Amino acid sequence: MKRVGVFICHCGSNIAAAVDCEKVAENAKSFPGVAFSTDYKYMCAEPGQDLIKKAIKEHKLDRIVVASCSPRMHEPTFRRCIESGGLNPYLLEMANIREHCSWVHPDDKERATFKATELVRMAVAKVLKNEPLDKSTIPITKRALVIGGGIAGIQAALDIANAGHIVDVVEKEPSIGGRMAQIDKTFPTLDCSACILTPKMVEVANHPNVNLITYSEIEKVEGYVGNFDVTIRKKARSVDMKACTGCGTCYQKCPSKVPSEFEMEMMDRKAIYTPFPQAIPNKPVIDRENCRYFKTGKCGVCQKVCPTNAVDFTQEDELVTERYGAIVVATGFDLFDESVYGEYGYGKYKDVITGLHFERLINASGPTMGKIKRPSDGKIPKNVVFIKCVGSRDEVKGKAYCSKTCCMYTAKHATLVREKIKDSNVYVFYMDVRTPGKGYDEFYTRTTDQFGAKYIRGRVSKIYEKGDKLIVRGEDTLLGRPVEVEADMVVLATAMVAKSDAAKLAQMIGFSYDQNHFYTEAHPKLAPVETHTAGVYLAGACQGPKDIPDSVAQASAAAVKVCGLLSKEEMPTEPIISAVDEAICAGCGMCVPVCPYKAIDMKVIQERVHGKTISRKVATVNSGLCQGCGACTVACRSAALNLKHFTNEQILAEVDALCL
Amino acid sequence: MSEITKKIQEIAREILEKGEAEIVIGWEKGTFWYLSPPAFIDKPEDTQRLVWDEFCHNNLSKYLLDYKNHEGKVAIFVKGCDSRAFNRLLQDKQVDREKVVLIGIPCTGLKDQDKAKSLGPNGDIPKAQKCMECKYPTPLVYDYLIGGEEALNEVAATKEAPDFSDVKAVEEMTPDERYDFWTKQYDRCLRCYACRNVCPACSCRECIFDQTRIGWIGKANNSSENQFFALTRAMHVAGRCVECGECERACPMDIPIMLLNKKLIKDINELFGKYDAGIDPEGKLPLGHFDKNDPEEFM
Repeated sequence: MKRVGVFICHCGSNIAAAVDCEKVAENAKSFPGVAFSTDYKYMCAEPGQDLIKKAIKEHKLDRIVVASCSPRMHEPTFRRCIESGGLNPYLLEMANIREHCSWVHPDDKERATFKATELVRMAVAKVLKNEPLDKSTIPITKRALVIGGGIAGIQAALDIANAGHIVDVVEKEPSIGGRMAQIDKTFPTLDCSACILTPKMVEVANHPNVNLITYSEIEKVEGYVGNFDVTIRKKARSVDMKACTGCGTCYQKCPSKVPSEFEMEMMDRKAIYTPFPQAIPNKPVIDRENCRYFKTGKCGVCQKVCPTNAVDFTQEDELVTERYGAIVVATGFDLFDESVYGEYGYGKYKDVITGLHFERLINASGPTMGKIKRPSDGKIPKNVVFIKCVGSRDEVKGKAYCSKTCCMYTAKHATLVREKIKDSNVYVFYMDVRTPGKGYDEFYTRTTDQFGAKYIRGRVSKIYEKGDKLIVRGEDTLLGRPVEVEADMVVLATAMVAKSDAAKLAQMIGFSYDQNHFYTEAHPKLAPVETHTAGVYLAGACQGPKDIPDSVAQASAAAVKVCGLLSKEEMPTEPIISAVDEAICAGCGMCVPVCPYKAIDMKVIQERVHGKTISRKVATVNSGLCQGCGACTVACRSAALNLKHFTNEQILAEVDALCL
Repeated sequence: MSEITKKIQEIAREILEKGEAEIVIGWEKGTFWYLSPPAFIDKPEDTQRLVWDEFCHNNLSKYLLDYKNHEGKVAIFVKGCDSRAFNRLLQDKQVDREKVVLIGIPCTGLKDQDKAKSLGPNGDIPKAQKCMECKYPTPLVYDYLIGGEEALNEVAATKEAPDFSDVKAVEEMTPDERYDFWTKQYDRCLRCYACRNVCPACSCRECIFDQTRIGWIGKANNSSENQFFALTRAMHVAGRCVECGECERACPMDIPIMLLNKKLIKDINELFGKYDAGIDPEGKLPLGHFDKNDPEEFM
């Protein structure tokens, strides 16, 4: 005989104000199977939990119903409670009489009490059908993968490595460093970006627990939390990493010039190159598309001049597969294609550039050795116009979101122009100035008050060339009149957008992304670095526009999650998963394509039929991957699949309790 | 003896003699002139029993399920609809293509056996309903083809466009009228499961209606349980029905089962885009895959 205990929680006055809890407890005494029923002010508090444990002993209860808040909140609490009271934790049902009842019916106590009683009735009917379930465990591979070697990836890798775990960092480019390496100064302190980044790059490269895999891409991801099997394509560098000493003779002698991506194509690099002087690893790669040897079969100068014979034209892409316990995705961002704004003349006028071009222009190792010069004629600009929100906050032509960093880096650029060119004028066209962040507003105030940048609230409607000047036409919406500025150079603050291949990677690993292809966190407030896929975490601008402090903070947060996971030998798996009745399974495989988590495979079993041993295929559920969504159970016609804890019979018992 | 019957017998004999298959499944003349039930031939000399006429209704693909554990090969004759059923069984991983020899028969349409019974052999017997709406009278998959490629052209010319006028008529009823209509139909149901047994989409090892699931699936023959059965059966073949019409032909109580199946086919066409089951054995099922871009309009 099953003996159910019912516990009705007042939740202070959250429930008790709208529901007569005593009466619900009284009503529950007459439900089939109920041996004990009571109410209490705070069931989740320690005295409340003790009450449950005591009642289990005194009244020999074997199943428990708690009527309180949403199970999302306290189901784990009460499961632990009844487990320490000696029951299987899955012999618990919760009736949500707060969110589903008292909060939505605050004005009709009689009917709210009736509804609460019915919800408890359903929970009692369900708990009578519950089966004890046991958690199984899956082993955890103590190795982490960080995808992306920008500042977020570097920070995450360092934190994980410092906790004692092995980390592989996969970077698509020949060097780690990412976008931060391209930036000259950082706001709001104006310290040199490279000066604070390169020590981190060196630290991560020299860390005994970190393994840098540069010039490589993720090819395939299989498996699940604790056991991701990741195939990495190591692109052919054409340079033997072990033999190369990084002397640089090869790229001095290489005859093929290619516009440098790192220098925003304002400078040339060679076909054999390192992207920038402080690159790590500081060993070149051959860009085969532009290499004379690979194009014509003739040249090979680099090979001839290399003192260590490190150049190897025969190298091929290499595929390696490694198992990881956790993955941090830190793939960063791209810049908005500003040519969408034809009226700004980007691409048409040489002196209309983006913020990242400007970063290279003021960088001491950039194309102008740090002197601000116009790309068209090398003259020092006197009037510089900055336009903010190019692509951001523009639902029609660009992106609806705010790129978050542009207000600050434009203020930084304005300050730097005024600092370096004493007789210059700086005009900033803006929609709003957003400066939430430590020291950010002070920095902006200095830009306007101390450095005298002129901020004009309004959008620019047109830019055109007149002689060697650029005429910037816009509107000052505060004064309500048109303005025209004769500029020598225009800098566009272009939006941060997701990487063009962001969706592909998300689909490969199996987590979600939003309409802008930024990766979606599991919860915007309470799980900002987790994805919905266990064991996969996010860091940096791949999740949404972010500045350096935010990216670093998120990277450290993701690292903590990884360390938490890798600190265990194995992890328990939720037993609320699908189960296959092999006797009934016809092996049609319909459940395989409907599973969103790729948790179902087919396996071959053998059985004896009429004295003969035959083999047939049946479905099998991977307990590490199954999330218990139940999609397979409705796809299975012969009901060979059933979701434990939510079986057809259990749900029907609830429906019957309510409707019969 | 018709030309096609002769060819059928020849090819069946050849297959058995050469050992290409151990069993040939075809049709033979039954007790009545308007019935041509299936014949299971395993000796070359028995092939003379095989016939092809306008009453060879049985969808022979279904019988392959009985030979799932058979070690040797089985040869079957397929009309257009039977070949779609074969593709469906391939999709359900119930048959092994390597173990089946398919002999295609381009079909010009069969006759309604119930009307034949009442009109007599000399009456003007109309085509079966399913054949009047057949989109695929030629086999879609075969190893041998009776009559060669010329026969295909002949059949292609006789193809008739399906229309959903009967479904629309039911859709236009008021909910009460419609409920009365279906209640009347399924109150006659005997729960003999002939519709299921003959259906090539019903390939479960153990049908849920044969399982003991007290409170979940009822076995009683009453109005409510019969309706539950009717809806469950229809949903289980949704997106997989090849419109062979066998369920309706096998029903001893003349329940218009195809009307229910066709309603689902029409709905799938409207909601998920045009789809005909059993055409492409590699294709995704409209109700059988997970799609991240599912609009989820019902949510």
